[in-house]
Amino acid sequence: MSRLAQQKSSPVARRDGGAVRPPGDSLLTPQDGELPTRQMDRMSLSYSTHTDSPATEVCPVCKSTKYMNPNLKFLVNPVCYHKMCESCVDRLFSHGPAPCPIKGCSETLRKNRFRKQTFEDIKVEREVDIRKKVAQVFNRREEEFASLREYNDYLNDVEDITFNLINNIDIEETQRRFKNHEDKWKENIVENASLAQQEQMLYAEQQKAEREQAKRRREEARREEMEERKEAEATRRDMLRRLENGQDPEEVKKERAAVQLKKRQNRQDAANRQSQLKAADATNGSSSFVIKGLKNKKAKLEPEAPVDPFGGLTFEHSYFSLQDDYVWEGLREAKRDPLIAAGGYDIASFTGRALCEAFSGLGVMVADEAVERERLNEPETLSTTKAEIAAKDVKMEDPF
Amino acid sequence: MTTRLSEDDIYRTSTQYRLWSYSPAQLAAQRKKTHELAIARARQNASKDGEQNGASDLEYLTEEEELQLVQRYCGNIRSVADHLKWPMNVKTTAVQYLKRFYLSNSCMTYPPKEIYKTALFLASKTEAIHITVPKFAASISADADAILAPEYKVMQALRFTLDVRQPFRGLKGALMELMNMAEGLMGTLSNTEQKTGKEVQAAMLALKLPPPGSKTPWKAPSGTLTPTHLNDRIRAAYDAARHLLDAPASLTDAYFLYTPSQILLAALHLSDEPLTSFYLDTKLPTTSPHRSKILSTIQSGAEMLASYNPKGMSKEERDALEKKLDRCRDPTTKDLIKSHAAMKRNGVEEGKLDEEKSKRRKLEREKSSKEMDDLFGPSLAGGKANGNG
Repeated sequence: MSRLAQQKSSPVARRDGGAVRPPGDSLLTPQDGELPTRQMDRMSLSYSTHTDSPATEVCPVCKSTKYMNPNLKFLVNPVCYHKMCESCVDRLFSHGPAPCPIKGCSETLRKNRFRKQTFEDIKVEREVDIRKKVAQVFNRREEEFASLREYNDYLNDVEDITFNLINNIDIEETQRRFKNHEDKWKENIVENASLAQQEQMLYAEQQKAEREQAKRRREEARREEMEERKEAEATRRDMLRRLENGQDPEEVKKERAAVQLKKRQNRQDAANRQSQLKAADATNGSSSFVIKGLKNKKAKLEPEAPVDPFGGLTFEHSYFSLQDDYVWEGLREAKRDPLIAAGGYDIASFTGRALCEAFSGLGVMVADEAVERERLNEPETLSTTKAEIAAKDVKMEDPF
Repeated sequence: MTTRLSEDDIYRTSTQYRLWSYSPAQLAAQRKKTHELAIARARQNASKDGEQNGASDLEYLTEEEELQLVQRYCGNIRSVADHLKWPMNVKTTAVQYLKRFYLSNSCMTYPPKEIYKTALFLASKTEAIHITVPKFAASISADADAILAPEYKVMQALRFTLDVRQPFRGLKGALMELMNMAEGLMGTLSNTEQKTGKEVQAAMLALKLPPPGSKTPWKAPSGTLTPTHLNDRIRAAYDAARHLLDAPASLTDAYFLYTPSQILLAALHLSDEPLTSFYLDTKLPTTSPHRSKILSTIQSGAEMLASYNPKGMSKEERDALEKKLDRCRDPTTKDLIKSHAAMKRNGVEEGKLDEEKSKRRKLEREKSSKEMDDLFGPSLAGGKANGNG
């Protein structure tokens, strides 16, 4: 109980992110648990005086705080990203452009450019703005490049420019490059932008169609279910009525089964017709069927060739053609033997191999070819004699 | 760009073709060269040893004797494999290994007595007969170290090519096809004259009987031939050919001079000549430019297989040769086990490397093993090659 009270009375003590700090608690006083180096980092930043930390929500111009004024809203201007409260903006800029009230900042700001901060970290806010701007100008598409490599090079250049802009490196040179590109490729940029917009619209449309279809399907299913239930109820009632009238229960049962069968058949026929219609629709291209995640790009121009493990080699039998069946009982027995078949042994692979071996080398005249080889291939025989000499050499035994 | 590969091209990619195929003249030249080199080395050693025995040429093995000895040990390999009940392909591979080994090495440098077990063990590994060295050594009552010691040497001499293309599976292929033909299920290929299956069967039934002297045990029955008889004939020819492929084909130089396909057809030719000719006619059109060449190659292969003399040298002859070999053998390779062990250590025992070098190696090894224990392993730049010795 006492702990709760304490928390209520002094929000200062709260250390979690959403806490409110008293106006006096400036940035420079070290917060417990935070490393001093972090503090130094903050100080070195140009906009460190109006930090983004929610704990220090104090307007740097009028020094009013959220604590005092819960309706306090902060705005930033994407020129210098100095933060100030709404009332200060109204007060300073309602009569047209005026210089930034922050000490040491000489930017001229306009009221209409002030906006609410999206990201807590002002650095992120700025980076996002810059990236948006760059992306608007450098909006080339992958298909405009001859190769992926070139596209990647282009992306790298863009990232270089972005990085420079964000970190204020070579700012003038970079700005110049940026402007140059913008001027040079004005039409292209516009074209790509409209393309992107179209794509987006298409995508949105697709999504909408998908949703609608899903809804239709659901409704259909529900309706069918209802109808079925109604029917079942009707037949049951009908049966009861007949039994009341004193009909033979067996006959009633049979009749009922027949009716049900007929109904089922009817339903099936209807479903069949429906699906046929749908298929016809699909072939006509007018189907409302939507496939998710389709790329609206051209298909790959050339399909990849199938893998050829022999690298273009083909084997041909010039001396035999493999038969489907051989009467030799050695093979017959092997075929019957479940032990062999269970192991996945293929008789045809044996017969093929045996026949290949029977004729492999039939036309090879070893004597002639060996002489020929010796004549043609002097280096090889040289190396073999070398190998023989070496084989006699003790040094060859040396495993090192 | 598609390149078409025929069966022959597939064989041309094999190491057996690229490294282990010779013309008869080349084969003889290669053996002669190896022999001469070995004698030259032996002389050099003898003169280095001292002048107490001015060894004359007479004491060295001749080329013929070397071949005989190798042949003898090929037979040994086969009997050991039979004793272990290993299949035919292991035998063949091991025999080829031994033969290939002695193409570039002489018996005087490495006596086959020490090599043949290693060849067999290597073959058991390549042909997927899984057996451990101690087990293998125990079953042939040999020393495990003696089997392992020359292994690297053998691998080197084989130029690290372990594939031996064998005709056995191919023979099964031929059997399969012949049987289908006998059943009238198979016509001929489009590049020969077209015949239906029935025609082929009729032609087969009309074949001449195997001439006397053929290896096939099949005898023509009295009365008319039926497809069943044909079947028996094929099977008999197959069995005979298989036996021919087992011993004569692997013990002669056939593997160096012919391709497996030619060898198997030569074996079939020996066992049932009319049948083989018929079979080849269905494969090779009479218009084919290679036909006569292929047929003559098969013929010469068959002659080679037929000329094989199963009677090797007698025990006495062998003992005499071994004794002779003992006198002239290269002393530097006398103790393979020891030199192998020395190589595995720092090679200092045999004085093959000087003290300093071995020490440096030892240090390096220690260092690298220490670095291996580091959290992130050794530094990458540190492993630079100080190779070649």
